[in-house]
Amino acid sequence: MRGRRPSLFWAACAVAGAILIAFVVLPAASMIVGAGAGLLGEALRQDDIRRSLWLTASAALIATAIAFVVGVPLAYLLARRDFVGKRAIEGIIDLPIVFPHTAAGIALLTVYGREGVIGRLLAPFGISFTETVAGIVLAMLFVSLPFLVDTARETFALVDERYEHVARTLGSSPGGAFLRVTFPQAWRGVLSGAVLMWGRGISEFGAVVILAYNPKVISVLTFERFEGFGLRAAQPPAVLIVIVAFVVFLVARTVLLPRRGRSRKDAA
Amino acid sequence: MIGLRGVEVVAGDFSVGPLDLDVPAGEYAVLLGPSGAGKTLVLEAVAGVRAVSGGAVLICGEDVTSMPAERRGVGLVFQDGLLFPHLTVAQNIAYGIGAAWSLWPGRRRRALRPEVARLAAETGVADLLDRRPATLSGGERQRVALARALAAGPRVLLLDEPLSAVDADAREGLQDLLRRLNIDEGLTVVHVTHDLGEAFAVGGLFAVLVAGRLQQVGAPGDVLRRPATVEVARFTGARNVFEARPAPGDSSCLALALGGTLRISGPAPAGVHHAVVRADAITVVPEGCPRVGEGDTLLTGRVRRVVCAGATSVVEVDVPPLFRVAVAARELEALAIEQGGTVSLRVPAAAVHVV
Repeated sequence: MRGRRPSLFWAACAVAGAILIAFVVLPAASMIVGAGAGLLGEALRQDDIRRSLWLTASAALIATAIAFVVGVPLAYLLARRDFVGKRAIEGIIDLPIVFPHTAAGIALLTVYGREGVIGRLLAPFGISFTETVAGIVLAMLFVSLPFLVDTARETFALVDERYEHVARTLGSSPGGAFLRVTFPQAWRGVLSGAVLMWGRGISEFGAVVILAYNPKVISVLTFERFEGFGLRAAQPPAVLIVIVAFVVFLVARTVLLPRRGRSRKDAA
Repeated sequence: MIGLRGVEVVAGDFSVGPLDLDVPAGEYAVLLGPSGAGKTLVLEAVAGVRAVSGGAVLICGEDVTSMPAERRGVGLVFQDGLLFPHLTVAQNIAYGIGAAWSLWPGRRRRALRPEVARLAAETGVADLLDRRPATLSGGERQRVALARALAAGPRVLLLDEPLSAVDADAREGLQDLLRRLNIDEGLTVVHVTHDLGEAFAVGGLFAVLVAGRLQQVGAPGDVLRRPATVEVARFTGARNVFEARPAPGDSSCLALALGGTLRISGPAPAGVHHAVVRADAITVVPEGCPRVGEGDTLLTGRVRRVVCAGATSVVEVDVPPLFRVAVAARELEALAIEQGGTVSLRVPAAAVHVV
């Protein structure tokens, strides 16, 4: 009897998990299956969908690259150093997660819009964040930044700081120790955060639609088609972005980030 | 060679120091103390990877207190080796030789190969150069970590519990290697451990740290036989530590707070002290032939417990107070010592140390 209890427990866990997985998979699968291969082909033939898909993916990539450059050093700082106000900074980084995204768009507009402090400053140089690609990147960066910074910070924290101590005694500067010892051990986690951030970026609607309705990213295009022409017209772009996101995540999880499973076994 | 001048290190609520310590060039010093004493903090302060909150750290007479770790010329080896897991053994060793090892392929890399091979041969890891750290045993990892530390040509080698994660066989080999590096190459070593046996196997100078305070610095024999404080006595395995004061009317005797007296060599100092007697300094006297010397103390008590620990057992004898006596297994049998029996103990005056 004693041996049966754990299996019942794991079975209960599996059932609970299956309900959750079905909850996530069902709408996506229903949309893809309902659309069929014909609809997908139709979507790929339409110029505005192709342009929108390219714009969405590249804007999210630029936002992720910017976050990588400024967010990874911050994540490392937060993982390694204790200082006054650290908690507050961590809270500020996570703020976009709890911001309603339309509110985030309005907040961005007050700063980067034509009448905003920074918007006004940059206008003479021909830089505008309203109705431009720069505005889309800005909105995506704002709402998805926490995914990269938080994941990178947690990954850096998992790398034993004493590796850096050893590297320092072997002649490396703090920056050298980071680049040659810490980052090579943490890159998978950082990349995982980057993929998450990119994924969050391509799906952004609320902040983008406030700051830059045009040019249309895929979520805005889907919304516009749904409003103007109904469900059937909105399905092609929606299906396409779901498939692109799914493929990218699948490649990231199975090819780029396979170490996670192995290291857990090693640790055991 | 290494000098600590009033060094203080703070880590959260815990603080170490102020510490004053001198480790001469070519010395093998062991920083010894129980877990949580602050040994690693001191080592990290010497290495420069932890800031001191007061005092000065000197290496070769040079004040390095504000010098970054990479310029101090120290090698650091941790308990688990901490080999860089993304590099091979050869790349780990080469890390300290040329900062450009992993960035410069080709000629620069080939130029480093003989030096890597020499260090690998010296530390006994020549056949492991292409392996990844995850595939090495604990002992192999420590040898590679030593080779890597030596590659940078350190003035001082700092070892943090380097033998505690390796098995007995590998430990002996590593101890030999460490002693060889110290004696043959004149490398100054500071070795942190809480293991007394390990300390005796390698150390030439003991510095005992308890609760963040340096309690005693001296030769291993001195620390063992003449502990400076009760904490050192307890840490070094003295099993009999009793509060005592001079016995009234007899200046060569100490009256123990828990009852009874002990003869000591020399006059008893005034005031309250502690009498320290190592368990292996007390002998069980066979019944009927009490060979008691002029200055010895003869005690009789009941055996409360016999704790077997391999070749030697510890016999607890309630005199009172409770004395712990180390008795060899064959002696235990010959003297028919058993729980509940009565035995006589001889405590030589020279074995009673007053702190």
